[in-house]
Amino acid sequence: MTSFLQQAFNGLVSGGFYALLALGLAVIFGMLRVVNFAHGALYMLGAFGAVVLSDSLGLGFWWALLIVPLVLAAAGMLVERLLVHRLAALDPLYNFLLTFGIALVCQDLMRMKYGSHSQPYAGAPFPGSLDLGLFTFPTYQVFVLCVAAVVCLAVWLLLTRTRIGTVVRAATERPETTRAFGIDTGRWVTPVFGFGAGLAALAGVLAAPMRAVNSSMGADLIIIVFAVVVIGGLGSIPGAVTAGFLIGMLQALGNLYVPVLSQTSVYLLMAVVLLVRPAGLFGKEEHA
Amino acid sequence: MRRSWSAPSAALAAIALLAGCGGGGPGSGGGSISDDGITLGVLTDLSGVYADLAGPNAVKAVEMAVDDFKKKHGDKAVTKNISVISADHQNKPEIANTKAREMYDRKKTDAIFDVPTSSAALAVATIAGQSKRLYFNIGAATTELNGKSCNKYTYGWAYDAYMLANGTGTEVTEHGDRNWYLIYPDYAFGQDMEAKFSTAIKSAGGEVVGKDATPFPNDNFSTFLLKASAHKPKPDVVGVMQAGGDLVNVVKQYQQFKLKDKDIALAVGLMFDTDIKSIGQKNLAGTRYTTAWFWNMDDKAKQWSARFKERTGVTPTFDHAANYSAATQYLEAVQRAGTDKAEDVAKTLDGMKFDDVFARNAEVRKEDHRVVHDAYLVQVKEPAESTEEDDFTKLVKTIPADKAFAAPSPDCTMG
Amino acid sequence: MRGVSAHYDEARVLDEVSLRIGEGEVVTLVGRNGAGKTTLLRCVMGLHQRMTGEVTFAGRDISTAAPHRRARLGLGFVPDDRGIYAGLTVEENLTLPPVPAAARSSGSPWSLERIYESFPVLAQRRRTSGARLSGGEQQMLALARVLRTGARVLLCDEPTEGLAPIVVQRIGEIIRGAKEHGVGVLLVEQNVRFATTVADRHYLLAQGRIVRSLDNTEVREREHELLQYLGL
Repeated sequence: MTSFLQQAFNGLVSGGFYALLALGLAVIFGMLRVVNFAHGALYMLGAFGAVVLSDSLGLGFWWALLIVPLVLAAAGMLVERLLVHRLAALDPLYNFLLTFGIALVCQDLMRMKYGSHSQPYAGAPFPGSLDLGLFTFPTYQVFVLCVAAVVCLAVWLLLTRTRIGTVVRAATERPETTRAFGIDTGRWVTPVFGFGAGLAALAGVLAAPMRAVNSSMGADLIIIVFAVVVIGGLGSIPGAVTAGFLIGMLQALGNLYVPVLSQTSVYLLMAVVLLVRPAGLFGKEEHA
Repeated sequence: MRRSWSAPSAALAAIALLAGCGGGGPGSGGGSISDDGITLGVLTDLSGVYADLAGPNAVKAVEMAVDDFKKKHGDKAVTKNISVISADHQNKPEIANTKAREMYDRKKTDAIFDVPTSSAALAVATIAGQSKRLYFNIGAATTELNGKSCNKYTYGWAYDAYMLANGTGTEVTEHGDRNWYLIYPDYAFGQDMEAKFSTAIKSAGGEVVGKDATPFPNDNFSTFLLKASAHKPKPDVVGVMQAGGDLVNVVKQYQQFKLKDKDIALAVGLMFDTDIKSIGQKNLAGTRYTTAWFWNMDDKAKQWSARFKERTGVTPTFDHAANYSAATQYLEAVQRAGTDKAEDVAKTLDGMKFDDVFARNAEVRKEDHRVVHDAYLVQVKEPAESTEEDDFTKLVKTIPADKAFAAPSPDCTMG
Repeated sequence: MRGVSAHYDEARVLDEVSLRIGEGEVVTLVGRNGAGKTTLLRCVMGLHQRMTGEVTFAGRDISTAAPHRRARLGLGFVPDDRGIYAGLTVEENLTLPPVPAAARSSGSPWSLERIYESFPVLAQRRRTSGARLSGGEQQMLALARVLRTGARVLLCDEPTEGLAPIVVQRIGEIIRGAKEHGVGVLLVEQNVRFATTVADRHYLLAQGRIVRSLDNTEVREREHELLQYLGL
């Protein structure tokens, strides 16, 4: 039983990464109707940001946690203004290709600069373990889970309790009608894109102390995150977060009890969800 | 909504197809040498996870061997027209298959070198057999290449899973860590490593108390580490068979879960200097593993490594040194045979004994084309022990050539 | 609101349509399905990209203004699907459109409190999701929402479609109430009888053209003929 709980908890930790990434993806998709293929690259850049700050400026983990998401959010806004925005009126496929291209460029630039092997990260905080009553767990990983949970909750409150949140939810549900109600949805597109980018960067910084930091780390992860978003319901914010944590747990417990399915369980679940509820667990069918 | 997903997948498929094309270089043209020259093809991972430990610098190692050969033989060289081409196989067997065919058939390649990733290497060996051209495996660890899937055109030059398992598995078990928990990636290399380690551990009197195949690639190994630490009976050592980024992940997480404090040691199946850099020397200090070569193991290796570093800017891995060695021995064999005809070159190579910058007390075994040579059980130095840049490893024990590799497999019939 | 002239190229859905709505005037647009009624409303609102011609509002040319600018000037849009957000509560739905400063200072007769007084059902359900309202409640919410912004002209796309007679009656009251406050209404309507109870004038739209302009007596006299034409 203890082992079950410990494994479930472990699943929640990796679920935290999925949730943060899926959340950013869902917010961006909702507002822009763009599936941001560059999301994995932003996660990778976030982790590299932590490494670079630590190596060249001597700034530790906490600085990275603050600076890197802000810098990448700003970079994301710039990309939205300069590139994504120009293609917004066209078929969404153009922006899929654009963001996919951006992801490849980022990946290759980092590989040119740092090689394909992983970068060491010296700034890991919380070296100890924490006694959680039933089991002990690495303090840092507990911290990661807390940050993921707090951020998801904060975003939820932001969306449900503030005017900005109402506007974003409205624009997500009916982009066109919302404009006809006197709301300049265009004004919110850039900040929302930046916000989603910042969330991915945050996940990247959190990953640096516990995962391999290399140019392909985002590309490997983002495929699962896409599955998470589809399972949760494309554009559904609670769906993305719930599915993120759910799939983290499913993978961990799957590894424990049915190791044969560990690689495929996510995609099996995705297939089942698409068959039974094509719009995802929390999704609604698109309006005509 | 479903519609909007099918569009990006179509785009992705298109991009994947495009990415599969391109690469390559010109062929060449005189004498008893076919097509007027010799072409050496390096088929390797130019952009993925193995691009640093093999990759573009493996190509440079082969180029360096060609330059050294030309300088040594000058006008007496069997041909002056020697070229090196390369291609990226992206660690995928189907791409390796296509690229190898292209190299042998269209680019007049006489010999292919490297090919990390076991499944890709097996694909290339098959093509080498069909094309009747030579293939020198450097980067892949599978013993199948010199076992069940052996053929008279394929050589295993640097290392294999048996060498790694026999060195590390036997030594660690005899050292007192008898109960093993193995964590291995679920593909050809990992499965091979698991099998070879299990055999080595058992014959050294130890036991594999638990094992897990893990997804590949994977960034969450906590599940398996937790399982290992809760396992009854308690393992003395966790043996991890991951490579590249996955190895970094598993070691980082091994440390966060403090398995060392629970008296569960770490043993690594395959490790390159690039991995030690990635994980951090101090995090690995004391870890024992087996290697085919390391850059500062003796003066001969050191001198060559200095030349290599001058040329490439990086300290060579054993893959780089072995590529240089294989290319050099191949060219010398062509020189002695006076022809680049694969069968004649192979006849010259078979049973050949040699010593070079890479291999010591080496012999090209006639029976299975396994090159046997000394292997080394090494230990990661404490940072304080390091005296210069990239000085990561110290020798624990030299495993002599006749012990380092398995006896020729009865499964291998060359025909 | 002075006049609308709009048309498309390629598949012409609207062909040089001109119409005007005066202050406190209710004008209906009748026509078969596919005649271009909804497109006309979308053109007025600026939601249709490919439009030529001119839209003026209170003497200003707004033909190139963004939809949100038009809304803030005083155009209130009630789309054919009512435009209720399932993800927002009733109150969030109501307060989503910003009230322009001009309307706020002149003291809109439709404050939130007034709305809740007039529509007790909305007050009761202010915290529930917009999706859980009945069709009639959704329609009232959609109308109340644009009235609250102090819109001077309402663009209503089939507000009575699929609703029970008693609710239709209530909608009529709301529209007449708005008219009394000087609000102009452009009403797309298939229910001809209902239209005559609220409207001053009627336009018949066919194949993207306004083919006839009728007053209430004409409509009443020729109701049968009209219904036949509309295919109802």
